[in-house]
Amino acid sequence: MTKNIPNFQQYQQAFTAYIRDPIGQPRPKNVSAKGMNIYKEIVFNNLFESVSACFPVARKVMGKRAWLSLIRKYFRVHSASTPIFRKIPEEFLTYLTNLEKSSSDTLPVYLTSLCHYEWIELLVSTMADSSPETVINNQIINVAGDLLEYQPAFNPTMQLLNYPYAVQKISPRYKPKEKVATQLLVFRNTEYIVKFIELNPITYRLIELLQDKGMTSKRALTQITNEIGNLPLEKVIQFGLEILNELKNQGVVLGVYNKPL
Amino acid sequence: MSLLSNKTSNIQGVGLGLKRELIPQIQAAFGNESIANINFVEIAPENWLDIGGKSAKQLDWFVERYPIVCHGLCLSLGGLAPLNTAFLQQVKRFLLQYNIPLYTEHLSYSTDGYNGQQGYLYDLLPIPFTEEAVRHVAQRIRQTQDILSQRIAIENASFYVQAPISSMDELTFIKAVLEEADCFLHLDINNLYVNSVNFDFDAHVFLHGIPGERIVYSHMAGHYQQAQDLLIDTHGTEIINPVWALLAEAYELFGPFPTCLERDNNIPPLPTLMHEVNKIADIQNKYRF
Repeated sequence: MTKNIPNFQQYQQAFTAYIRDPIGQPRPKNVSAKGMNIYKEIVFNNLFESVSACFPVARKVMGKRAWLSLIRKYFRVHSASTPIFRKIPEEFLTYLTNLEKSSSDTLPVYLTSLCHYEWIELLVSTMADSSPETVINNQIINVAGDLLEYQPAFNPTMQLLNYPYAVQKISPRYKPKEKVATQLLVFRNTEYIVKFIELNPITYRLIELLQDKGMTSKRALTQITNEIGNLPLEKVIQFGLEILNELKNQGVVLGVYNKPL
Repeated sequence: MSLLSNKTSNIQGVGLGLKRELIPQIQAAFGNESIANINFVEIAPENWLDIGGKSAKQLDWFVERYPIVCHGLCLSLGGLAPLNTAFLQQVKRFLLQYNIPLYTEHLSYSTDGYNGQQGYLYDLLPIPFTEEAVRHVAQRIRQTQDILSQRIAIENASFYVQAPISSMDELTFIKAVLEEADCFLHLDINNLYVNSVNFDFDAHVFLHGIPGERIVYSHMAGHYQQAQDLLIDTHGTEIINPVWALLAEAYELFGPFPTCLERDNNIPPLPTLMHEVNKIADIQNKYRF
C-alpha cells in the first residue's frame, strides 16, 4: 500500500481492505469492532445476494458451504469494475472464467459453463431493445420474404450457445463428469419471456453460418451439404427450410433482409 | 432566496422509491384517489441505465405519468480512484432521455483501491471527516456538476463507525462540503436520526445547524434497532415517531421540501405504504406557507 496518499485515504484503504478480508487484514486502528462487524457483514451479504440471485442452480449444485467460500474468495480478490447492479453477476462470471484458466482448482469442471448458462438468461431479459422492431442493423426486415433465397433476420436478442456440458440438465442429481457437446439458442420473445431451444448440430451450424453478412440460407445449406458429404442437397435444403419455418414460428427468425443478394 | 433551479420544480410533494414489487401495484391503482399523494417516483440509475425488455417498458410507463428523481448509489463521491466519468456520461444521457431534473448522491464512498485496483463494493461507506476529505469530495462534486451541467444534491449518509482521524463533526463536514462544492443538500431525516443515536448527538441541534436554503429534497425511511445505542439503516420497517417529529420540525424550519419514502426491504403492499406517503403529505400541508 502506498504511503504517498493523504491520511484519510490511507484510512479508507485500511477500512475497505478489512471489509474484503477480515481474517487476513487488521481492523483499522482505534475503530470499534462492533461497527466494523456491521460493515463486514452488510457489504459481504449484499454482494453475496446480488451474485447468488443469478446462479440458483450453481449454488444448489455446489452446496451452501462451497458456494459461500467461493463468493468469499471472489469478494476478497476481485475488483469489480461496473457500477451497474445487473452486471454484478457478469463480474463474477469473468472472475470464474479467469480462475478456470489460471488453475485447476477444486471447482466442478462444468461450473463456468453452468454459470454462463444461468447468467445469459439475465443478459437476454434485460438487453437493450432495438428500435423500431422491424429494423435490424439499419436494414428493413421483410417478414414475408423467401427464407431460402434471402438472408434470414434473427431476433436481435438471440444468442447462440455452445457448451461442453449439458448445462440445461445439471441439478444436484445430475453433476456431469463426461463432456456432452451441447448447443442451445436463447432469445427474448415479444412478451419479454426468455426462451431456450436445444439445437441439433446442423441447425447450430446453419444459424452460425447465417450470422455472416450477406449469407443466404441456400448458400449456407449448400456449404453444410459439402461439409457433411453424404447427404443429397435437396434433403438438406428441405430440412433447412423446415428449421427456418419453425424458428420463424417461434419468433427467432423475424423475416429476411429485403434486398435480393 | 432558494438555490433550487426551475429545472427541479416539477418535483413537488411526496414521492415513492420505485421498487420492482411496487410497479404492477402502482400501474393497477393509477388514477385512483388512493394513490393521489404519490407525486413523483425515485429510481437508482444503477438499476435502470441502458436496460431493455420489460423493465424498459415499465420505465417508459412511469416517465409518461410521473416526474422522476434519480438517486444514485455508486458514484463514490468520497472514493480514492478517479471519478467514473464514463458512467457519469451515461447518467447524463439517461437524465436527458427521460427528462429527469434532479440527480442526488450520497456523501460516502462505495469503491476502494485494494491491491492497487479500484473496485466497486456496492455499499455506502463513511468518509472520515477531515479537511483533506472536504477538499477531495468537493472537487469531485464540482467535477460531477461540470460533466452533468447541473447541480446535484448530496445526501447525508448513515454510518456505524466513527473514524478516529476525523477532525470535525458530521454537521461541520457537510456544511464545508456544501459550501466548497456549491451543491444542493438532499436531507435524509432517518439517516440524521440514526446517526444521532449511533453517535450520541442531538438531532434537533443538528437540524437547526443545516443550511436550509440548500435543501432541495429529502428521504424518510424506517430502520432496525439492533441495540439501545445502535440503529441499522435497513429501510425495512415503518417510520418511528421520533423521525416523524424530526420531519415536522424540518418543515417548520425550512418549509415543506419534496420528500420521498424509501422502502427497500420487507416491502408491504402498496396500500400499507400509502399510509406513510399520506402522512408525509399531511405534514407537508400543515407547513405549507
